[in-house]
Amino acid sequence: MKRLALWIALFAALFGAGAAHAQGGAATAYPGKPIRFVVPFPPGGPLDIMARAIGQKLTESWSQPVVVDNRPGAGGSLGAELVAKAPGDGYTLLMGAVSTHAINPHLYARIGYDPFKDFVPVALVAEVPNVLVVNPTVPATSVQELVALAKAKPGYLNFGSGSTGSTGHLAGELFKSLAGVDMVHIPYKGGAPAMQDLLGGQVQLMFDNLANSLPQVKAGKLRALAVTTSSRSPAMPDLPTVNEAGVKGFDLSTWFGVFVPAGTPPEIVTKLNAGIVAALDSKELRERLAAMGTMPPGNNTPAAFAAFMRAENAKYAKVVKESGAKVD
Amino acid sequence: MDLLSNLALGFSVALQGINLLYAFFGVLLGTLIGVLPGIGPVATIAMLLPVTFTLPPVSALIMLAGIYYGAQYGGSTTAILVNLPGESSSVVTTLDGYQMARRGRAGAALGIAAIGSFIAGTFATFLIALAAPPLAEVALKFGPAEYFSLMVLGLIAATVLAHGSLLKAIAMVVLGLLLGLVGTDVNSGVARFNFAIPELSDGIGFVTVAMGMFGIAEIVANLDSEEKREVFTAKISRLLPTARDFKDSAGAITRGTLLGSALGILPGGGALLAAFAAYTLEKKVARDASQFGKGDIRGVAGPESANNAGAQTSFIPLLTLGIPSNAVKALMIGAMMIQGIAPGPQVMTEKPDLFWGMIASMWVGNLMLVILNLPLIGLWIKLLTVPYRLLYPAILLFCCIGVYSINNSAFDIFMMAGFAVLGYVCMKLSCEPAPLILGFILGPMMEENLRRALLLSRGDPMTFLQKPISATLLAISALLLLVVVAPVVRKKREEAFQE
Repeated sequence: MKRLALWIALFAALFGAGAAHAQGGAATAYPGKPIRFVVPFPPGGPLDIMARAIGQKLTESWSQPVVVDNRPGAGGSLGAELVAKAPGDGYTLLMGAVSTHAINPHLYARIGYDPFKDFVPVALVAEVPNVLVVNPTVPATSVQELVALAKAKPGYLNFGSGSTGSTGHLAGELFKSLAGVDMVHIPYKGGAPAMQDLLGGQVQLMFDNLANSLPQVKAGKLRALAVTTSSRSPAMPDLPTVNEAGVKGFDLSTWFGVFVPAGTPPEIVTKLNAGIVAALDSKELRERLAAMGTMPPGNNTPAAFAAFMRAENAKYAKVVKESGAKVD
Repeated sequence: MDLLSNLALGFSVALQGINLLYAFFGVLLGTLIGVLPGIGPVATIAMLLPVTFTLPPVSALIMLAGIYYGAQYGGSTTAILVNLPGESSSVVTTLDGYQMARRGRAGAALGIAAIGSFIAGTFATFLIALAAPPLAEVALKFGPAEYFSLMVLGLIAATVLAHGSLLKAIAMVVLGLLLGLVGTDVNSGVARFNFAIPELSDGIGFVTVAMGMFGIAEIVANLDSEEKREVFTAKISRLLPTARDFKDSAGAITRGTLLGSALGILPGGGALLAAFAAYTLEKKVARDASQFGKGDIRGVAGPESANNAGAQTSFIPLLTLGIPSNAVKALMIGAMMIQGIAPGPQVMTEKPDLFWGMIASMWVGNLMLVILNLPLIGLWIKLLTVPYRLLYPAILLFCCIGVYSINNSAFDIFMMAGFAVLGYVCMKLSCEPAPLILGFILGPMMEENLRRALLLSRGDPMTFLQKPISATLLAISALLLLVVVAPVVRKKREEAFQE
């Protein structure tokens, strides 16, 4: 019995020393090996492109390869779950999004991770407004006219979205409840077919992400009525917000940012945050973010991102509940 | 002459040394990954995305487009040689292409596929140059109701694919429909038949099913009996199609090209249907259809021309509207965004060098594919003379790598193994996998569009008859059904179904 206790003590000492060594090393020598950057969506989307661009910048400044690993599936949940279960050593990053860290936990009854307990927020990468666009055949040139049209012809308007539970869908539901109008949600498998039917006039409106709709608006194929954020977008400064246009309390955006698994040492989180913020501040990335129509970044610390995430969760808990979009 | 000056601009861009180089690199890489079973253009382009960042935009897109149609072509090569369709459109090519290969006519099949594809590609490229914007407008007229009716037509045509029992073909279509139900329901977001396995929540991947049911099941069947492979390689007489082959195929190539060009314009799976539709058409117009499914060259020429024409015209929605019609196009949109180009209707007017350069490069790329592939036929045939005990482990390995690379998911490999067992059982029961694949692809799209159309019409089914395009498609379906069923009514089953 005594001997066993001795062994245990010995092991504890060894492991304790080992852990202490690893932590001491972590602060100074991180990163000491390649970093895996999990993107829980297929390649080619804005998240993937930004992850690759940030990865490239980090690779250059830390001389350790940052490898993007696409793990699509289940609306981003598969990739998020993978990172939630990875060791918190700073060598596995996740490009999380409004869907994985604010909507899905309220939308799905079963989900394989907890956005708060399983992750440490590192830095917000981009916050992009959605934009309310209508097919030009719709006789409404402002949000007020659209509301009037919807009230005059209840059930006449259809709004498309990339999927059930997407920001486009929830924005539509929020619009319905705040403006007191009736519209039918038409879900699609992705933003592209939804855009196609909007252009073809099969659906009349959409709360699309700004970068996607901007070229169509410029070409006169769609008419933009308002942005969904609480302040105007630098990409379209003349366009009012939905809130300004009379639907009070409307504030919604699509965002994505970097997370690490819970238990990652704070020094590593700080170092990652500094690296990502520096990358985002480079000329190239600033230009690219501006082209996407992102909102100007505020104070981008892990604490600020965590507070933002909490606020977003509170918002979507309410929106999902009111929309009745919850999935069992 | 706007067209001439535009084409001149396009060719001046496409024929620049650097762009020729990237076009060649693209089609070469595309052919190679197309030939490696399961490794598709999506994984390749995703890996190459960071590289494109350093290239001029036109060169980058020319290369990516080259990979895409190169892979389309390469996928047909494996379909013919080893019964492995890498792309959904080459499923049809396995029907007669693989049978031709088994009769020692792999060279003729590959040759006619290359030549048919080139003719189709040329026609489709000029169609894009002439009329891309108005054609894109036509595509927008296709709403959910029209797509649903198109899918109905496709499914009825599917039964014609089989050359055995009609009942078994229908059973396989239904089985395919059922498999297609797995995954998240688009309307409610509820996961169906996923047995709480998260990997199933996005449904079963096409490549997983096709690799398992065609490729691996075929390997198992080949290992069943040793003498089969001998026949395979011994009888190869000549590499290129004969004059008679050309004469037989001319009509098929023409019809395939026209059909493929038309269907390819539709972003919602039109290009996919093109090959199936072309095969059905050939079988129906042929005076003697007895050889279909046993190695009729028209069964290769028609669908191959159609799928290449469709692959080209499927660029129309991308180029004129900025709408990607499949995963590869979505990646190209990503590449454009990396370059700071906003994909949309303005690309045509704001970046005419990019727009016309890409169109011209498609033709150049198609020419390169023919020049590249005709000499390669000899090499591919040699590949068949490799002892099977060396060939099949390599095919297995590549299938695993390919299936894994799609979602970086090991689960997909196990699923492929499961479908291989199913494929082998079906083979033993002489149930053909092609109708299953068609049901599997069309089923979910049909359901999605049916429910969407009904949502839009607020539940009124008359919407399918009130829309002229939809009504026409349904009328053609009814007619086709009559053609299939009539012989039964006249008690001529033998003639109709034992073809």
